[in-house]
Amino acid sequence: MNLYQDVIIAGFGGQGVMLIGNLLAYAGMEQGLNVTYIPVYGPEMRGGTANCTVVVSSEEIGSPIIHRPKSCIVMNRPSLDKFGPRIEENGLLILNTSLVDLELAKGLPVKVVPIPVNEIADSLGNARLLNMVALGAYVNASGVMPLQAVQGALGHVISSHYKHLIPKNAEALQAGADYKP
Amino acid sequence: MSAPAKKKRKLMFALGNEAVAEGALIAGCSFFAGYPITPSTEIMEIMAKRLPQTEDGVFLQMEDEIASMGACIGASLAGRKAMTATSGPGFSLMQEQIGYACMTETPLVLVNVMRGGASTGLPTNPGQGDVQQARWGAHGDHPIIVLSAGDVPECLTMTVTAFNFAEKYRTPVILLLDEVTAHTREKIEIPAPDEFQIFNRLVPSMPPEWYKPYEETVRGVPPMPPIGSGYRFHVTGLIHDKLGFPTSRPDEVKGLNERLFRKIDRFFHDIQLVDRYETEDCDHLVIAYGSVARSAKLAVRQARERGVKAGLLTLRTLFPFPRIHVEPLLRHCSKILVPELNMGQISREVKRVNNGRVQVRTINRVDGQIITPSQILKEIS
Repeated sequence: MNLYQDVIIAGFGGQGVMLIGNLLAYAGMEQGLNVTYIPVYGPEMRGGTANCTVVVSSEEIGSPIIHRPKSCIVMNRPSLDKFGPRIEENGLLILNTSLVDLELAKGLPVKVVPIPVNEIADSLGNARLLNMVALGAYVNASGVMPLQAVQGALGHVISSHYKHLIPKNAEALQAGADYKP
Repeated sequence: MSAPAKKKRKLMFALGNEAVAEGALIAGCSFFAGYPITPSTEIMEIMAKRLPQTEDGVFLQMEDEIASMGACIGASLAGRKAMTATSGPGFSLMQEQIGYACMTETPLVLVNVMRGGASTGLPTNPGQGDVQQARWGAHGDHPIIVLSAGDVPECLTMTVTAFNFAEKYRTPVILLLDEVTAHTREKIEIPAPDEFQIFNRLVPSMPPEWYKPYEETVRGVPPMPPIGSGYRFHVTGLIHDKLGFPTSRPDEVKGLNERLFRKIDRFFHDIQLVDRYETEDCDHLVIAYGSVARSAKLAVRQARERGVKAGLLTLRTLFPFPRIHVEPLLRHCSKILVPELNMGQISREVKRVNNGRVQVRTINRVDGQIITPSQILKEIS
């Protein structure tokens, strides 16, 4: 069976969008799939917007840069303005409703999964887990790969110094996947 | 290059820049001097970590790009395989000594990860604006080899190729990447080192007193001993005679200049590397390099699905321009498209070779974004 999924993950610098992009790509690789990951960021040291594109495919990947993605994880308002209209028709939008008003995405011809990732991360005890919550929601909604595959790849992106945080991150991924709007 | 007894290959999720460093180490690079600059910095970071772990590896962070090139030339003269990496502004600073390395026939590899725009430009966006600078940036008439890579596995193989060419032909070799290629992470299999053919420079076999360092030889490339090995030779950027001392005798000046060019010219068949995709019967040919070639490949595949006889010629060698591979295709193509991230630097080479025979069109994107497959597809179908 041919599998092909691409996703743009976008937000503020500091929200961890690059990290979950990397994580998803590593997990794809461990599943034996071809993957590409390309980060896009500006020259500013902090405060800028950042996004990355991940392509996961059972075939050879043509272009690592996607203009009209099949899915998008949007973590803030500027990202919705920029990428929302570019998502393919009937595509998938994971929307961080902690920071973005759901109403703003109503007109888009896509399936929207609203999820308040900041609040969920807070309830798990660490606000910085928000990226994992968002990725969990994406993996569940897209079905691109089993959530266990992503959880299993955490060791690749979390440095050995922070190894003790892996279970908590796995839990955050699960919380995102389990969330029912 | 698929080895019969397939050894266990290391699987990596690597940046283009990481693959360059990996390729350099496979090729036997034991010296890196550089000054960090986005988007090439990761090459330097990795070499800083890995070189000291090798037997005799030396890594130096220099005060600037001028010094970096100087250090690489010195290391190479002392017998090492040397590399530096930079981007636009640093590349400009290195130009004078690229000429020096050409004149002194010093092998080295210079990786330039192209960013967008002139000057400081767009440090985190791709461009292909340094193509003609790579060819003609150093002053004076000089031959040079310029290579390119468009995806992560290619970054590795082309780095090995760059070292091989540098050693074989005693010349600086410039490897051009762009920001997208350098910063894309992909799954790659790292081939075992013995899957590559690695060339080392020819060292003299005659007794030291017979050695003439800049003499024409049957092979076209004079042997090169490391400094301090008992062979005396003089190194200068001035036009020099067979022993390396300055001369302005017209016959010796002509002899040196012509030999430097002949050294590269007679090996065009070895140096000019391309990759053909669906070109046998193509009517609409796309000529591309770097990350753009990747978009072009997908566009050509999609065009074929729509019944358009499209084909792609990917240039791995940019200079000497692979004329021998472009010319035969002009016989059966009616249209050529050259997409690139500049205002037309390789397309002018294509037009020169084409000489008005078939229609040549270009896509020139200079907004800091990459040329997408759909943009190319629109032009060829």
